[in-house]
Amino acid sequence: MSDIGRMLPNEKPEHPYVPFSYAGSMFGNFATRFCSGCGYGIIGHLFTKIFEDEKLDPHLFPTIIGIGCYSQLLLIVHTKSQKILALHGRAPALATGIKMANPNMKPIIFSGDGDCLGIGGNHFIHLCRRNLDCVIFIFNNSIYAMTGGQGAPTTLFGAQSTTTPYKMFENRSDGVELAVAAGATYVARTTVAHPRTFMKYFKKALNHKGTSVIEVITPCVTYFGRKNLDSLGAENREGEGEKMDTGQKMIDWIKQNTIRRNQAKLMTEDQLLNKYVIGEFRYQTDKPEYSDEYNKIQKFAMEEK
Amino acid sequence: MSKINSKRFLSPGKHLMMGNVAMSEGALSAGLNYFGGYPITPSTEVIEHLAVRMPQVGGVCMQMEDELASINSVIGASLVGAKSMTATSGPGLSLMVETISMAANLEVPFVFCDVQRNGPGTGFVTEPHHNDIGLVRFSGNGEFQVIALAPMSCQELFDLTITAFNFAELYRCPVFILSDAYLGHLHEVVTIPPKEKILDRVIQRELPPPDEYIKKFTYKDDNTGKYVIPKPPQMGTDYCPGLLLHQPHNYEGLPTPKPMQFMEAIMDKINKNKDKICITESYKLKDADIIIIAYGLPVRASYRAVDIARKEGFKVGIFRLVTVWPFPDEEVMDVVKDAKAIIVPELNYTGYIAEQVERVTKLEIPIIKIPKVCEFHHPDDILKVIKEVAK
Repeated sequence: MSDIGRMLPNEKPEHPYVPFSYAGSMFGNFATRFCSGCGYGIIGHLFTKIFEDEKLDPHLFPTIIGIGCYSQLLLIVHTKSQKILALHGRAPALATGIKMANPNMKPIIFSGDGDCLGIGGNHFIHLCRRNLDCVIFIFNNSIYAMTGGQGAPTTLFGAQSTTTPYKMFENRSDGVELAVAAGATYVARTTVAHPRTFMKYFKKALNHKGTSVIEVITPCVTYFGRKNLDSLGAENREGEGEKMDTGQKMIDWIKQNTIRRNQAKLMTEDQLLNKYVIGEFRYQTDKPEYSDEYNKIQKFAMEEK
Repeated sequence: MSKINSKRFLSPGKHLMMGNVAMSEGALSAGLNYFGGYPITPSTEVIEHLAVRMPQVGGVCMQMEDELASINSVIGASLVGAKSMTATSGPGLSLMVETISMAANLEVPFVFCDVQRNGPGTGFVTEPHHNDIGLVRFSGNGEFQVIALAPMSCQELFDLTITAFNFAELYRCPVFILSDAYLGHLHEVVTIPPKEKILDRVIQRELPPPDEYIKKFTYKDDNTGKYVIPKPPQMGTDYCPGLLLHQPHNYEGLPTPKPMQFMEAIMDKINKNKDKICITESYKLKDADIIIIAYGLPVRASYRAVDIARKEGFKVGIFRLVTVWPFPDEEVMDVVKDAKAIIVPELNYTGYIAEQVERVTKLEIPIIKIPKVCEFHHPDDILKVIKEVAK
């Protein structure tokens, strides 16, 4: 309904990959619908960069996008990538159908924390269980941002949201632990503050045969940052600090709360309560992949008399 | 994907098979390449049979983790060019409606076999009850049209499934097969036609010529005023569905500022083609002044009742709806205009089709419903009503 062109700032492309993005190819400038300080712009352009640099065949790498703020990544991911928007939480199921009907494809799924760990938790678990060859991103901004900042399964303990106005007291869901337990064969977590790691993991996932789960911690300034103090997650600083109302503050906060996996092994559970542990959690190449196994069954059944 | 495996077709001739199996074989003959399902009584035999048959023909039968996933995987498979279907019962259908609505917006073709069972809630799981008739018509949020076919025998389950796949390819809307617990479990002789005859009937999934790639969704041709339904787009080709936001869209798939045009296209592509979609059958209607309007299993009891009543001198005829949705308004109006009374035997209490007949006849003709739940209409039940009406 809305006129996209009118919303764009009239500036020349500075980012070398802007012309490859969908909006960039149409309007020639940096067009996103994200709030200032949002991390999805970084993700979109990193995706476009990898898509272009790795020369991915758009016919074989369809992008399946769930529902959330990141649905607007449609505008900045590579213009050649074939995109389809799934229903809320159903992207893994849609990707299963795509992959099984055309096993040459390798779907790349964008989903969020509410998408993958909330409404679509079951589909996510079973995608990992089957070890279906695909890449699934969980964009974790610890809030339901598109609907206006409600509490998510990933909201940090003690954080504020519109549905937890006093404080969040639920336990946090951990997408990476869930994926490992469910049987995904490549599992990693990174943040938008670590773009090189993001690219490294994404490339590794593209070359991996099996379900690759990459959780990406991204900031939401508008609905998470403005309501919460930057002391969130830090020990013995309750009630201190200032609101994270700019992108810079949120990125700093993410960096402060990020712990590498080898360091995390030395820490207690209490110390890790509101921290993000980043790194690679599993890389296993010998586990059978679903569509391969199904192909064997097909061959057997077709030759059987 | 287009190569035809010889195992796809059964040997021509007579086979004794269960309704659910006949439906599965019909789907295979129509070129089914992807089945996503979740076991639910009474449709379980469909997934059991296809789990054996699909790998033999190079297709895929997936048992998904739930109904939501199975219908979504069906849509995904259809998006990459596989003919796909799912089968479930009432409780499964109510979980799937969300995605049916999405598929209607994106005009993704697929076939949906609803083996109806008693409800509401869990109900008697092995008893028939045509209680999803209203639900399939208004399945999902938003306005859209569906096609629903109601077979009454195992032979028709085979034949109409092929028709259903053809309708899905042609009209790109959700197409339902309304089976039920008795019909699904009924064992009957099915005559399988030769492979060539089946292939003549089947509309294959094909790409249009490259110069038509730009138009991917239904639109109204300004010159002729007719709705043009392009062939279904396929991901993984240059004829890809493109940037889809599930919003009112134009023929390119881009959001349109005119939602009314989109609504017209999605509704009227079916409404304006009713003459091709609505399959009906008449039995002894010529001089009939009492008319039975029925669909599905009650038609079989009606045939018997009409034969007996004719011998006794009552002028009775049957107007059978093979296509239940869209409802053939004009045809029904034409058939009942001189009728003294209309009898609608239905396997439900509400009388979904009786309501439609009431709407069409504007209540000018008396309409007698014969509701039955979880049991067959005995011909005597219908005969009794015929005699009462004729008095």
